[in-house]
Amino acid sequence: MYPSLFDYAGATSWPQAVQLLQEGGEEAKVLAGGQSLVPMMALRLATPALLIDVNGAGDGEPRRESGRLVVPALTRHATLQRSVVVRDACPILAEAASWIGNIRVRHRGTIGGSVAHADPAGELPCSLVALEGAVRVLGPSGERIIAASNFFQTYFTTALEPGEVVTAVEVPVIASGRGWAFLELIRRVGDFALVEAAALIDLDDAGQCARVRLTVGAVGERPVDLSDEAGAVLQNGSIDEASAAEVGRRASAAVDPPDAVHGSGAYRREMVAVYVRRALLAAAARAGRGGAA
Amino acid sequence: MTAGVDARTAPPAVPVAPVGPPGELVRTGETFRVVGTSISHRDFEQKVRGELSYADDWRMPGMLYGRIVRAQLPSALIERIDRSGALAIPGVHAVLTAADVPRNAITEEASGLGMDPIVQPVLAADRVRYQGEPVAVVAAETAAAAEDAADRVLVDYRDHPGVFDPEAALAPDAPLVHRQGNRLVEWRLERGDPDEALRTADAVVEGEYRTQFVDHAYMEPEAGVGWIDGDGVVTLRVATQVIEHAREIAQILGVPHTKVRVIGTYMGGGFGGKEDMTIEPYLALLVWATRRPVKMVWSRQESLLARQKRHPFTMYYRTGVMSDGRIVGETVRIVGDAGAYPLLSPRVLFAGAVTAAGPYDVPNVRVESTAVFTNNVPTSAMRGFGAMQVVFGYESQMDRLADQLGLSRTEIRERNFIKKGGQLPTHEQLDTYVAVRETLQTALEALDEEAGSGDAALDGGDTNAHYLVGRGFACGIQPYGRSRFFADRASCWMGLERDGSAVVRIGVTDLGAGQAASLAQITAEVLGVHPDRISVHIADTALTPLSGGTFGTRQLYMSGNAVLKTARELRDKLAPVATSLLGVDDPAELEFADDRVAVRGGADRFLSLAELSGAAEERGVMPFHLSTFEAETGHFDVRTGRGQTFPDFTFGTHAADVAVDLETGQIRILRYVACHDVGRMINPQRVEGQIQGGAVQGIGYALSEEIRIVEGIPESSLFADYLMPTSADVPDVRAIPLEIGLGKGPFGARGIGEPPIAPPAAVLANAVADAIGVRITELPITPERVLAALRERRGVGADRERGGPTPA
Repeated sequence: MYPSLFDYAGATSWPQAVQLLQEGGEEAKVLAGGQSLVPMMALRLATPALLIDVNGAGDGEPRRESGRLVVPALTRHATLQRSVVVRDACPILAEAASWIGNIRVRHRGTIGGSVAHADPAGELPCSLVALEGAVRVLGPSGERIIAASNFFQTYFTTALEPGEVVTAVEVPVIASGRGWAFLELIRRVGDFALVEAAALIDLDDAGQCARVRLTVGAVGERPVDLSDEAGAVLQNGSIDEASAAEVGRRASAAVDPPDAVHGSGAYRREMVAVYVRRALLAAAARAGRGGAA
Repeated sequence: MTAGVDARTAPPAVPVAPVGPPGELVRTGETFRVVGTSISHRDFEQKVRGELSYADDWRMPGMLYGRIVRAQLPSALIERIDRSGALAIPGVHAVLTAADVPRNAITEEASGLGMDPIVQPVLAADRVRYQGEPVAVVAAETAAAAEDAADRVLVDYRDHPGVFDPEAALAPDAPLVHRQGNRLVEWRLERGDPDEALRTADAVVEGEYRTQFVDHAYMEPEAGVGWIDGDGVVTLRVATQVIEHAREIAQILGVPHTKVRVIGTYMGGGFGGKEDMTIEPYLALLVWATRRPVKMVWSRQESLLARQKRHPFTMYYRTGVMSDGRIVGETVRIVGDAGAYPLLSPRVLFAGAVTAAGPYDVPNVRVESTAVFTNNVPTSAMRGFGAMQVVFGYESQMDRLADQLGLSRTEIRERNFIKKGGQLPTHEQLDTYVAVRETLQTALEALDEEAGSGDAALDGGDTNAHYLVGRGFACGIQPYGRSRFFADRASCWMGLERDGSAVVRIGVTDLGAGQAASLAQITAEVLGVHPDRISVHIADTALTPLSGGTFGTRQLYMSGNAVLKTARELRDKLAPVATSLLGVDDPAELEFADDRVAVRGGADRFLSLAELSGAAEERGVMPFHLSTFEAETGHFDVRTGRGQTFPDFTFGTHAADVAVDLETGQIRILRYVACHDVGRMINPQRVEGQIQGGAVQGIGYALSEEIRIVEGIPESSLFADYLMPTSADVPDVRAIPLEIGLGKGPFGARGIGEPPIAPPAAVLANAVADAIGVRITELPITPERVLAALRERRGVGADRERGGPTPA
């Protein structure tokens, strides 16, 4: 349980982090909250030659910027969970954060680390795709903004180029009346999810579905955006047991999760149907007629 | 009352209130001052403050760090070991292999009856028999260097056929784990004519039940520090349940027993996992080879991968019953996976056999209980010790019998409960009062009470889920104390200091369950010394009389009785001094209490214990005493399966209501009660702690914990993949200790360490069956197994949706 030898460098700004990362090359890893990287190092599954600690690179709080919620990369999950700004602007993000690990993990882990790590079972990647959020990155050639739908590519792999670091995450503010739900299936409190479902629903004046966003997580190489499949069933119709179950069936058919110690692939696939149905019904119950659409 | 003794720590002596139906109880009429009170002890406070020095907290100047190199294959021949890469790492002081071990054998004859001659190497020499088996051991100046060195010990293996399923291992052409054959032991017990009884029974229920490998998963890892002291004695300060392993360690080193000293630390849990040796021989070898202090701490990965586990059992039950509910015959066949080495498997399968018919008097019964070698990680002692797995078997059978006959589930049990004088499958008669019926009644009443008091919404806030609710309960019998044929003994030294404080020296180890604290309480009761003025020195082979390890729920029975006996004898030794000074004739007129000895009824005629101690010494009566408690012994005939087994048993009943999510298969425990008859409580708070902890550990076993081993390779080597429940996953357990049938421990106490872990699996299997109408027969009861059972029910077209629990 002792990591192999590594060098350590502290960055006090994002440009400095980028510079250190360029110098360190492929053997360098960025250390934010360390809640995934450090255990992997202790198990010697990761053996970086250089750790670039970015904890000194910025300390901003989540804030609203012209209809968007901007969450700085070093925002801890516990802050996400409790911040009044986040709960007001994007409550689903606070809800998703509350499912991450345990209280110790949530106090150290950061949103930037979580998206850069891109664990397919991560709560934040799943929510960000559902929210049509984006990731702000800084690299040798400057800043760019990558849509969450393009950012998460496959297992532990993102659209980050060499030398790039995540500096913030941004999502649209959830308008009042938009219903939302984030649910996940776990075998034990604090564990990685077997299935995650994030749903956002807008109803029209008649209480019919005006727009639906649906993402499932933990069941593939990256968050699976099933909004089109959900829309095909629900658009301009009512969201009830039958229609939500139909989306669940289609969602289940669209994924092929692998076997894991916590549950077989077949079980997780079956549970996608259950959790999609429950998430859609829960989001619809929160939505107000003539809401955000 | 003396100053400093408040009402909480020493209430006025009152008779212990009788519980349960009068007439059948054994009552002594004794009254107690200290026994039966929930006094605290320094270990509580030290643990909460983080001040207690656990094994891993110890440091020595010049200390090295040890690490084991473990086999990466479950069955292979060792062709070559190259340690040059490891030795080249700076700071590495030793890399030892089998050839470096003076006597490369861990010997313990576990059955006690001369049945298992197979020797386990300390370090594998030419062959590895399970993944994780120690192959080499290294010592280096830092823990990181030791880990680097261990990674660079290169072992060339050649594949060797292995066998991973115990029933496959019994096939004639199965690969042999040991050349003596794969059948390690088979116990056979028979009473009456079960075949004939099953032929003539009104109904016969057959059941096959499977349990899994689980880990002890204590908080404190296997840890210790060793050094050679100024007298050349190899001294190990380690977390162990058994300091007597000092003798085995001496044999491994090839030195006299007196040249190895084991000091046992207060442990952060053992549960049987520190009953066999863990780090001790490896630490001793490194200390011996380097002549330096060495520390070794196993990582959680090592512990989960390679330390012994609980036996998976496959149990085949056939139970015959008459239409009135009387069980007339039963056959039980148990196959237990011993893994690659014997360890304590013979004893575990023995305990399983003895208790296989449960707390029921079955006139015709046959039990065959077999331990089989495989190339899986070895299995050995774990809380419940074979008597746990069978509860899942016999209590599932009882509910099935009730359903088959249309009797209530309490009625079928009450018709068959064993009573004092009733017989186990070994033909031995129970010789103490059996209060299992009272525990059943109490548990069910308490569950109704809990249900009536209202609780959280069934759906846990998720209104889109669909649930069914069910109730289950299970009764259990668990031995306490070692098998009688071991002729168990425990010794104790006790002295009264000149200031009237008391010293107890006894070899007992403290798992964290308050072993030492209970002994202080017993001493206080007899000698009248305030508990805070008693020092209990434990667990040091050089300084404390040996009292046997802390296992088999034996410690209160053995060391408790040893302390009680020693204290009474010391009191009797000092009494004549007191009688002569106080001018009374009969020692019975004396009362030892409140730090003094007084004449009963004569308020002004007393001596302080300090005065008594001094006066005794002046008269040449030394105020200390050494004594040995000898357990009840008995003979057991392996050939006929008849004879006496355990000194006594503890009985109990657990009951629960559950909600089953019909879509996900998840089980939520709505309420859980656990009731045991403990005869006499020395410290009620500790008794309740044992019951709650045992029930929670048993719930983990029932619902989620499993080390899944595929072809000899464990899939759970991290807690992330070992689903031990957390405080957020388990319900509040209502613990209800009863004091009804006095047992054989001090003041009539019965052991309570192991019994509470055993019933939960059967309770929850019965509750799930009650909820969904289908029975799960394989542990753990995972959501997937529940869904599979639900599919099976839909398949047969049964439809039994209900809104509430079935009354018991």
